[in-house]
Amino acid sequence: MIGIKSYGAYLPKYLMPRELIAKAWDFPAVPGTKAIASVDEDSLTMAVEAGLDCLSGIDPKSIDGLYFASTTQVYTEKDSASFIATVLDMREDIITIDFTDSLKAGTTAFVRAMDTIKANKDISSILIIASDTREAEPATMYEFGYADGAAAFLIAEEENLPIVIDDYYSISANVTGPWKRAKEDNFIRTFESKMDNQIYIQSITRVMSEIMKRNNLNPEDIDVAAYYYNNPRTHGRISKRMKFNQGVAQNGLFFQVGDLGTPMSFMLLISAMKRPKEEAKVILAGFGDGADSILMHVQDRRALRELSKNHMGMAGHQKSMKTLQNYNVYIESKRLLTKDRYVRKSSAVTMWRDTPTVYKMYGNRCKSCGTVQYPTIFRACIVCRADDQMELVKLALKGKIFTYTLDHLVGGSYLATPVPRCVIDLDGGGRVLLNMTEIENPEDNVKIGMEVELTFRKEHEGADFKNYYWKCRPIRGRF
Amino acid sequence: MAVKGIKDKVAIIGCDATKFGELWDKGREDLLFEATQGALKDAGIKKEEIEAVWAGIYYYFTGMSGATVEDILRLDGIPITRVENYCASGMDAFRNACFGVVSGAYDVVLACGVEKLMDEGSSGLPGFKIFGHPVLPLPSAPAMFSMAATRCFHEFGWTKEDLARVAVKNHDNGSYHPKAHFRSKITIEQAMKAPMIADPLGRFDCCAMSDGAASLILTRPDLAESYAHADDYIIVKSNQISARTNFPWYVPPNGPGADFTSFPSTVKAAKMAYKEAGITNPRKEIEAAEVHDCFTITELINDQDLQFCDRGMAAEELKNGTFNWDGETAINPSGGLKSFGHPIGSTGCRMLQEITKQLQGRAEGRQVPDAKIGLCHNLGGAFSVASVTILGQRD
Repeated sequence: MIGIKSYGAYLPKYLMPRELIAKAWDFPAVPGTKAIASVDEDSLTMAVEAGLDCLSGIDPKSIDGLYFASTTQVYTEKDSASFIATVLDMREDIITIDFTDSLKAGTTAFVRAMDTIKANKDISSILIIASDTREAEPATMYEFGYADGAAAFLIAEEENLPIVIDDYYSISANVTGPWKRAKEDNFIRTFESKMDNQIYIQSITRVMSEIMKRNNLNPEDIDVAAYYYNNPRTHGRISKRMKFNQGVAQNGLFFQVGDLGTPMSFMLLISAMKRPKEEAKVILAGFGDGADSILMHVQDRRALRELSKNHMGMAGHQKSMKTLQNYNVYIESKRLLTKDRYVRKSSAVTMWRDTPTVYKMYGNRCKSCGTVQYPTIFRACIVCRADDQMELVKLALKGKIFTYTLDHLVGGSYLATPVPRCVIDLDGGGRVLLNMTEIENPEDNVKIGMEVELTFRKEHEGADFKNYYWKCRPIRGRF
Repeated sequence: MAVKGIKDKVAIIGCDATKFGELWDKGREDLLFEATQGALKDAGIKKEEIEAVWAGIYYYFTGMSGATVEDILRLDGIPITRVENYCASGMDAFRNACFGVVSGAYDVVLACGVEKLMDEGSSGLPGFKIFGHPVLPLPSAPAMFSMAATRCFHEFGWTKEDLARVAVKNHDNGSYHPKAHFRSKITIEQAMKAPMIADPLGRFDCCAMSDGAASLILTRPDLAESYAHADDYIIVKSNQISARTNFPWYVPPNGPGADFTSFPSTVKAAKMAYKEAGITNPRKEIEAAEVHDCFTITELINDQDLQFCDRGMAAEELKNGTFNWDGETAINPSGGLKSFGHPIGSTGCRMLQEITKQLQGRAEGRQVPDAKIGLCHNLGGAFSVASVTILGQRD
């Protein structure tokens, strides 16, 4: 038999009151709170948390695979599953897969885990973790809903499982509901939310009805229905349409923690596991570009109760959650505040102090030996070593190349290379090192003895601070 | 009054180095630990006998302070100092360790060097910055040395082929060394056809990025008699360091090193070292030399600055075989930086343990015939810091 051997969950520490969001934007008040990840959390770290909770008392080395489900995986190339498996200290000879890009990725990973175990005699258990940190654009209605969390199931083939999987049914539908543009946008978008809602209700009722029909079950036979929802009113309409008995459709989540994305239906199921009925029939359903429904039944009530004692699940996390008092903390922790995260690549102090050298192109003349030298920052003469005998002299903006290199690797980049770096003896004294600009075919055209002019250019930019300095160029004839 | 200097006052009684290379599976912790374990085993002593340590570490990310070394070796709180002096960091650590012995402060000390370059995911030396100025240009290491090559081509008529010969010789030597990063021989054509890094220096003109560590145990010669290498411990004849400008490109035409065909720091360190060791004809008196070959041009210029040949003649002498492992003066019989790569802080100590083994007749497969006096040399920064050590056999 294949079924759920263990479960785990993770909810972040902080709750954002919807009232504060409404207040921030002068929106009508909306009740409840939503769970929000801290600034140092993402779908990967929360998955690790849910995984640790699920594996409490279980040897991670005994598990044969890890399926990760998310719409907010941290990389587009480089999977999270293998990373999470490493952190959870699982074996290396396991299968790891990321299920992404759809809200039903959680339930899809769930049924694929079951298929994998069924099809392969060497694979008897797979850990599935769904985790999401979906970002809503501030000052939109989505900000009330999208929340953060993770949930995990250990799917295994063995006797005496708390919950046994009986059947699953899936549909695929190419409907653009909530979607996120690939590159240009940080936020999830919708085209037509009324249509989305209609498709959602149709899809989720279809997969649940179909699986009941296939298994000769009537609505009153179902004890627990855990299906994805992002709106309490719609949730109620689905329950009504399905003719479920009172209390069957699990709706205890959205009000307090919000729309968790891929782990939403998992979390609903986990929260319903505390007081299981003997032989209870359970439906788990996920939605997104189609829908999945999974039919299960409680096989071992005692084992299930045992699980709720040894795993934090939903309730264990909810106990320690804290409500934020300030909308701004939320917006900053989500990195939604447009701030110049300033990386200094210059020193305004140095540039000011070295004005004669870097801007005015002055050198020093040693009063003791007469040698003109550059830059002006050194106080002892490099030729006669006399101390403090320097006087500023204006250097010529013209000279001849003494030696040079054509640098093919400037700043670690091969673009726009080679860059000629030239040691130049300026007319009238002063030896400087300058990059050359506006030179065609430097391999043929840069030579020892070549005459150059100095030209004031932008050297590099850091955090929008522009650093200017001199370069040299082939003679254009400036007087 | 005691005689000035360190000549004949320090003995090397044990040494070792790790394999050099892209050692993904080894941390600085493994490298310095293994090199030091090897040196202790070679000396036949326990780590408890070490009284003080000087460690060459260039990059802050390899490790700051003596505490980095303490964490690796666990020496129970004895004095440990991190030494940084560009590419001479390892050899300067050795110099300070010598002073520890010569001063009479300690009987047994450890000189070591370690660098972990390959954890940084960088091509070329990571975060290379000798001077945090916002705009004054700082060329990469290949660019600095290629400006000297351009000038030597102009002055001496040297060519890309002359540079390639350095790479061919050193990779040939390195192919016999089990601990080298690269152990394949190359041809002149291969070297000359390699992609350009900083014209005229191509890929085979540059040494590679590597990881590695090396360690040496030092004591006084009178105490050396009671250790494992009583019969063949090695004596330090001299060790000198010269520091010059960070900015050779600003040296006015009448200043030191303005010609870009000689490194005044090498010239000065060599002069001081030969004087202390009493060497008057380096080419005749020194059989084996590990000479800083971060770039092929560097070795050629150093050969001249170290007085192994006349000015302008290095390329021709190399072509004639003077610097081959069985030539008049074997230059880089180990394969040099070209074969070992250049984990900065460790290179100096790697050379010192190499020459120690040459003088002890323990350089299996690469032994320079009748090596009695050997030299190690580093040149770091923009030709800024040079270090020369001369080692000899015990009486």
